[in-house]
Amino acid sequence: MKDTRRTRVVLSVLLVTALAMITADYRGGDHSPLGGLRGVGAAVFGPVERASAAVVRPVGNTLDAITDAPGERRRADRLQRDNQRLRERLRAGHLDQDRSAQLTRLLGTAGTGGYRIRAAQVISAGQGFEDTVTIDVGSRSGVRRDMTVMSADGLVGRVTRVGPATATVLLATDVTSSVGSRLEDSKEIGIVQGRGRRGLGNGGRTPLRFQLLDANAPIQVGQRLVTLGSQGESPYVPGVPVGVVEEIGNPAGGLTRTAYVRPFVRFTSLDVVAVVVAAPKTDPRDAVLPPAPAKPSPSASPRPSGPAGSPASGKPGRTGRPARPTTEPTSGD
Amino acid sequence: MLNAPEPSAAGRNALAVIVIVVALVLQVSVANRLPLPGEVTPDLVLLAVVALALVSGSMTGMVAGFCAGLAADIIPPADHTIGRYALVYCLIGYVCGLASAEMDRQSLVPFFAVAAGALAGTVLYAATGMMLGDPRATWGTVSGMVPLQVLYDVIASPFVVWAVLRVTRRYERGERSRDRFAVPAARYRAMSGRGGGL
Repeated sequence: MKDTRRTRVVLSVLLVTALAMITADYRGGDHSPLGGLRGVGAAVFGPVERASAAVVRPVGNTLDAITDAPGERRRADRLQRDNQRLRERLRAGHLDQDRSAQLTRLLGTAGTGGYRIRAAQVISAGQGFEDTVTIDVGSRSGVRRDMTVMSADGLVGRVTRVGPATATVLLATDVTSSVGSRLEDSKEIGIVQGRGRRGLGNGGRTPLRFQLLDANAPIQVGQRLVTLGSQGESPYVPGVPVGVVEEIGNPAGGLTRTAYVRPFVRFTSLDVVAVVVAAPKTDPRDAVLPPAPAKPSPSASPRPSGPAGSPASGKPGRTGRPARPTTEPTSGD
Repeated sequence: MLNAPEPSAAGRNALAVIVIVVALVLQVSVANRLPLPGEVTPDLVLLAVVALALVSGSMTGMVAGFCAGLAADIIPPADHTIGRYALVYCLIGYVCGLASAEMDRQSLVPFFAVAAGALAGTVLYAATGMMLGDPRATWGTVSGMVPLQVLYDVIASPFVVWAVLRVTRRYERGERSRDRFAVPAARYRAMSGRGGGL
């Protein structure tokens, strides 16, 4: 380089600036003086991301289809062409059937629990080590910080930052996420923590870790978890399905017991999600959980703790989502 | 170099800005959502910075790196301390810019630059995280990510570098007098073409 001295001066200025920003932002924490900068980022890049998501969505769906079924490549190719054509036709009619189906299920889930939701689409995902996504609703749609985000299958995460038209969601699999949870059919509570990068290096099947607060409490593989609900229903509303216990850690005489949990939500292919803008009036307890699998579960009956023993909620023989319960669950707490 | 009274300086800077913005948006809305094995994704922003640095030298490289990093720190789903990517990409842009002088002699420089940049980028970013006590940047996670990250970056590099060169070359067409840029670009283009054909 010709201009070495000048280059070095600029380099040192930039490095010092970066270090100063790191220091300021780190020391400031939530009230960082650079918070405004993030706001600028959300205001500037949010609309760009929304536009880009609208463009790349068909491409992404195509890629998903290919990677999901590597053995059926040829069939996928053919279907992909068909899909493309059909998708164009659907878009012309402003009706994305996929999305519509997901929304219907989502509304079913939200209706079962009595949540009031705002539907949203994931438009981008975080980089580096963080498990975060951006969704296409923001403060203009009434979304605020610390609202629960769920999908038709269960808990997704919580809103950590809100821009005018976008919001950042911290996924439940992130290392810094911890969710108060409860085992179904029991009052045993604990904390679900993420294991980072959707479970990288720890076996992708169980990206969540459940710490049972009572080390002597009974816990079995196959038991399911729902959120306990935070104080004031923020950041987590009660009763959202979290996942299934897959593996129970070695009780090494600690104060807590650890179990590994497979979430209901597939965090690698999030698409339509919902922000819970108002919590249910009463805790839905286990009512939002999908019907128990057909094989006899370790617990005595699939859902005995339905409040007031509501028989309508446990109809056998139904596949998929249970019908909206005829009686709204009325639980004591 | 930036203050040189050449008519194209502003145009080239604007081009660099466009390249970075496109790389950023593609990174968050496409690359990060790819369901790749290991949940690691190629770092397009890093590749764009490396390519700009290799084409235009260390001054452009580090300024572009700093700006790209700062943008990556504040683009919506980001949830880390502001300045971490700015620091890392600035350093990488500077070092890769130094390597651009070697490109005339060594044809393998771009690939080494990409691999070294990917390695240094992941490790440095993780190191800043560890220094700040970021619970996400644990040793287990980082050691699992680094090899895959480098592999994906090297696989993605011909495409990104080719795109960047294509853009910059189109812009510089007709400015043959400034051979300082023409020679590495041409050499580099041949390189990336061969790499893409592999």
